[in-house]
Amino acid sequence: MNNLWLALQGAWQVLLVGLILGAGLPTIFALGIRALSYGVGADADATDHVPHPFAKVVAYSCFGIVVLAILLGIGTIVASGFGLDVVFDGITPRVVAK
Amino acid sequence: MSAASLVREIFGAKGDPDDEKSIGTEQTRYVPPELVVLCLVVITALAFDFTNGFHDTGNAMATSIATGALKPKTAVGLSAILNLVGAFLSVEVALTVTNAVVNIQDSSGAPRPELIADGGQALLLIILSGLVGAILWNLLTWLLGLPSSSSHALFGGLIGATMAGLGPAGVKWVGDGTKLDGVVGKVILPALMSPMIAIAVASVGTWLIYKITANVAAKYRDSGFRWGQIGSASLVSLAHGTNDAQKTMGVITLALIATGSWTHLHQVPLWVKICCASAIALGTYIGGWRIIRTLGKGLVEIESPQGMAAEASSAAVILTSSHLGFALSTTHVATGSILGTGVGKRGAKVNWGVAGRMLLAWGITLPAAAAAGALTWWLAHTIGGLIGPIVIFVILVVLSGAMYLHSRKQPVDHNNVNDEWVEEVTDRKLPEPALSGGGAK
Repeated sequence: MNNLWLALQGAWQVLLVGLILGAGLPTIFALGIRALSYGVGADADATDHVPHPFAKVVAYSCFGIVVLAILLGIGTIVASGFGLDVVFDGITPRVVAK
Repeated sequence: MSAASLVREIFGAKGDPDDEKSIGTEQTRYVPPELVVLCLVVITALAFDFTNGFHDTGNAMATSIATGALKPKTAVGLSAILNLVGAFLSVEVALTVTNAVVNIQDSSGAPRPELIADGGQALLLIILSGLVGAILWNLLTWLLGLPSSSSHALFGGLIGATMAGLGPAGVKWVGDGTKLDGVVGKVILPALMSPMIAIAVASVGTWLIYKITANVAAKYRDSGFRWGQIGSASLVSLAHGTNDAQKTMGVITLALIATGSWTHLHQVPLWVKICCASAIALGTYIGGWRIIRTLGKGLVEIESPQGMAAEASSAAVILTSSHLGFALSTTHVATGSILGTGVGKRGAKVNWGVAGRMLLAWGITLPAAAAAGALTWWLAHTIGGLIGPIVIFVILVVLSGAMYLHSRKQPVDHNNVNDEWVEEVTDRKLPEPALSGGGAK
């Protein structure tokens, strides 16, 4: 029975972090794409549309956040391969020995 | 002992005269039987690693191939390279891999002394039989185009062979209760929960993406999500390399330790690492096209935004859980994510018939591989001596060859991987999703 309880605890954590990263990051990415398309209106086939300069800033900030998160993810894999761990106890991640 | 000297030692006696001269005739006359078996174990383990590669290509790349974000060959090539890189990145000790499910090693990674009393033969036979069972099940599910879990096949094979060899007490069913352990804690419970987690994450992601980008111009949507998809799929490939190649490295190293050919308990020999990384990468590059087809076309008609949602969900769930020590199967997560994108998109059709068949395959993977492993062990043990292991190896080669030949009758490769699914071929129409149940609102 203990296994079941432990598994539920693990599953709950994975679900929570999974939702933040696995659904949250694509959402931020989608917001970026939404921003690029600002002003298109209902004309989904528009090919001559140019993104609004401000919208461009918003969009690339969104993409930037996603790319940073992915780099952090890869960083975590690489670090754990070398016996290190990436911890997020402050604003910036730190690399510590396991 | 290096791979080259091992091979020389075993085959040297039959080699050309030059070779024999260079090693000296004294040691090549007599080849201890356990070295021959060790050689079979290493070859079989690498073969398993290879099947693990092609069985799982689809987990990362099926969606990108189905949506046309990447050409099929490019996708498998990219995935292969990332698997190779991933396999080298994970230098963490993988030596206790079998400890999750069976009691053939102690907690330090050393094989149990009674199993290596006869030069390691008892342990080698268990490992060899387990691997044979795992490969056979992997090939059968590939032939049927079913994405079943390679780790379940490996664990199943080992469990079966251990039960046959040591009795049920040799299997670690539940662990000691202090952490998730044993067959129940490391295999069965995660297998029940991880697909549900993946379905939840992917359906929420898909729903949000479609909500946000509903009125976005097609030109931004297509190219944007195409890149998002490639990025997230790459991450899944990398994570796969770091997770799965390790398991085979651990098994081979255990076999080497059992025969006394390697003594470090905290290090995997470099040649093992290189061989395993190459085997899984080569397998990935060959591509399990039948499984890619099932995942990419058989479950849900996937568009780029869904593809990105699926892979992002898979990557996040796999990386999070391996970070938290929650063991799960890449295959279960990837499939759950793809189903989730069908649940989360309004009006998307989910082929629940195929999904049901897959669920069934997941359920029986562990017992089926266990049965194959047990039967193999029993056969080899009954024949006994050096002939037993050789016979099961030959059986493995023959059955694998037969399944490969059978697959050629209806080949699925990079040319037809994206052809329309059975719906068109058989005139069977999928039911339209009910307005209340099919899509999230």
